[in-house]
Amino acid sequence: MAELQFHEVDKEVLKTLRPGGRTYWISVILLFLGAFYGYFVVWPYQILTGLGSAGYRPPVMWGAYLVNFVFWIGIGHAGTLISAILFLFRARFRTSISRSAEAMTIFAVFIASLFPIIHLGRPWVFYWIIPYPNERFLWPDFESPLIFDFLAVSTYFTASLLFWFTGLVPDFATLRARTTGFRKKIYGFFSLSWSGTDRQWHHYGMSYLLLAALCTPLVISVHSVVSWDFALAIIPGYHSTIFPPYFVAGAIHSGLAMVLTLLVPLRWIFHFESIISMDTLEKVAKTAVLMAMAVGYAYVVEPFIAWYSGNVFERQTFLFRMVGYYSPLFWVMCFCNVIAPAFFFIKKIRTTPLLLFVIGILINIGMWLERFVIICGSMARDYLPYAWGNYWPNWVDWSITFGSFCLFFLLFLLFIKFLPAIAITEVKAEVTPPVRPKEEPYAA
Amino acid sequence: MPHDEGLVGIFSYVDDLLKALERLKQAGYRIENVYTPLHLPEVEDILGKKPSVVRLITLLGGICGGLSTVGLAVYAHLSFSLITSGKPVLPWVPWVIVCFEGTILGAVLSSMVAWVVKGGMPRLRSVPGYDPAFSQDRFGILVACTGSEQEQVRTLLTEAGAGEVRHAAW
Repeated sequence: MAELQFHEVDKEVLKTLRPGGRTYWISVILLFLGAFYGYFVVWPYQILTGLGSAGYRPPVMWGAYLVNFVFWIGIGHAGTLISAILFLFRARFRTSISRSAEAMTIFAVFIASLFPIIHLGRPWVFYWIIPYPNERFLWPDFESPLIFDFLAVSTYFTASLLFWFTGLVPDFATLRARTTGFRKKIYGFFSLSWSGTDRQWHHYGMSYLLLAALCTPLVISVHSVVSWDFALAIIPGYHSTIFPPYFVAGAIHSGLAMVLTLLVPLRWIFHFESIISMDTLEKVAKTAVLMAMAVGYAYVVEPFIAWYSGNVFERQTFLFRMVGYYSPLFWVMCFCNVIAPAFFFIKKIRTTPLLLFVIGILINIGMWLERFVIICGSMARDYLPYAWGNYWPNWVDWSITFGSFCLFFLLFLLFIKFLPAIAITEVKAEVTPPVRPKEEPYAA
Repeated sequence: MPHDEGLVGIFSYVDDLLKALERLKQAGYRIENVYTPLHLPEVEDILGKKPSVVRLITLLGGICGGLSTVGLAVYAHLSFSLITSGKPVLPWVPWVIVCFEGTILGAVLSSMVAWVVKGGMPRLRSVPGYDPAFSQDRFGILVACTGSEQEQVRTLLTEAGAGEVRHAAW
């Protein structure tokens, strides 16, 4: 970013907002059709025919939808890590990727929040979980991890959205100044008439710092709360105190991988080499190595706890995980989440964009499989052998999962075309400020 | 005496802007607004800004949010007509999580509202003296001054490096 001049920042960053070409719009249409198929064709079919059409029958009643819920919530975590925690640590490399990572968080949490509703047999009464006086005299149980989850996810979404919007306001003012017609009016509306006065910056700066500080505990708390959905149940494979840190590490791992999956192509397509430097991507890869080690540690300690506990049910659950019906998924998961990121120890690999992208995708696949192995694998082998049974997603599960990925990439594509994908104001703060050259005399 | 007019100096360089601000401050002029396309803490230092009240509002919002969600949980538990035996009537320990989420939500919402309102937003008309270039790569100072002072202020701004000086009224 050092070679970028202050007056060039707007022009350079706003390259993404130029009208999209044919490839862009074809991609948008295809993704829209994919999302439409998942959410407006297959989901209504499931509502009409019941959850049995998605392959849900005892003992596995939490299947692909809950896997997707945990996966997408996890994806969001890296966004908050990059935008909030690294902001507090004054990590300068975050500047060029924070906006996209935050957008990724919001889209992922939005998509995640749909899955518990899709998972309901009667999704139209999902509002019963909201506490309000009602004629049924029923109240949600505030001791339940499901209510914790509802509160945690809704708080996380609200906080992330407001933090993202706060960062966008000065950029909306820049867009307002650089556009005309209808777009100027839209950007002007969202800029809240920002003028960049000292008074506005004074309160804005303090609020942005506080919002970052408030979002920081959410990175830890949200996935801890999600893990309690499982850990508070007495099912072997779920009931473990290691779950909160294990889930948080996994969430950050998958989120960083998604950052690589999205930003490597973005950097290549829009020639953002001067803004998203290789050093930035390398630092993301190094953090992914750390997370891979944390996740790998959990993979080793979990079976150890099962063995050391002496509990026969825990032991058979982990034995089943390693050599049973789902064992191929378990070993693929171990490779993708621990072995593949270990290649980032080699400098040549972590500084090659194509390899960063490929390993990012492998980690994403591995993290999806991890949630599948934990959620479905544990339910498939309960206490009674009589109740054992295997589950595999059918076309309904796969269709809605496919729709969720289409919706995520669709939202991201629309985001980079209509909003600044890189925080203009923050990039301006990072480049050398405009100082009067010695050879340029004063007008007076 | 309250002013209703003044001059806006437009600068291309940060050091010129800071120099002009210091000179205006020393000369005792009333600086209405300083416009910058990025956050410059040096401007706040020169203007001698007090710590933002957003901190206090965020704290109060967080406390209200935490108390509200716990209050809701208490109300819900006492309103629930089915007896749940073996469980405490008001289980405070699990409600730590409920309280935490409410605290964060209350603090975030109040912080957002606070910076918007204290920043004088939203407004239908732009701030006096604002130029769209201030949201791109230019810096500005709006100095409140009457007719007799304007020539001195204009000279001061130009000598400090302002590329352009305009009249503004509000």
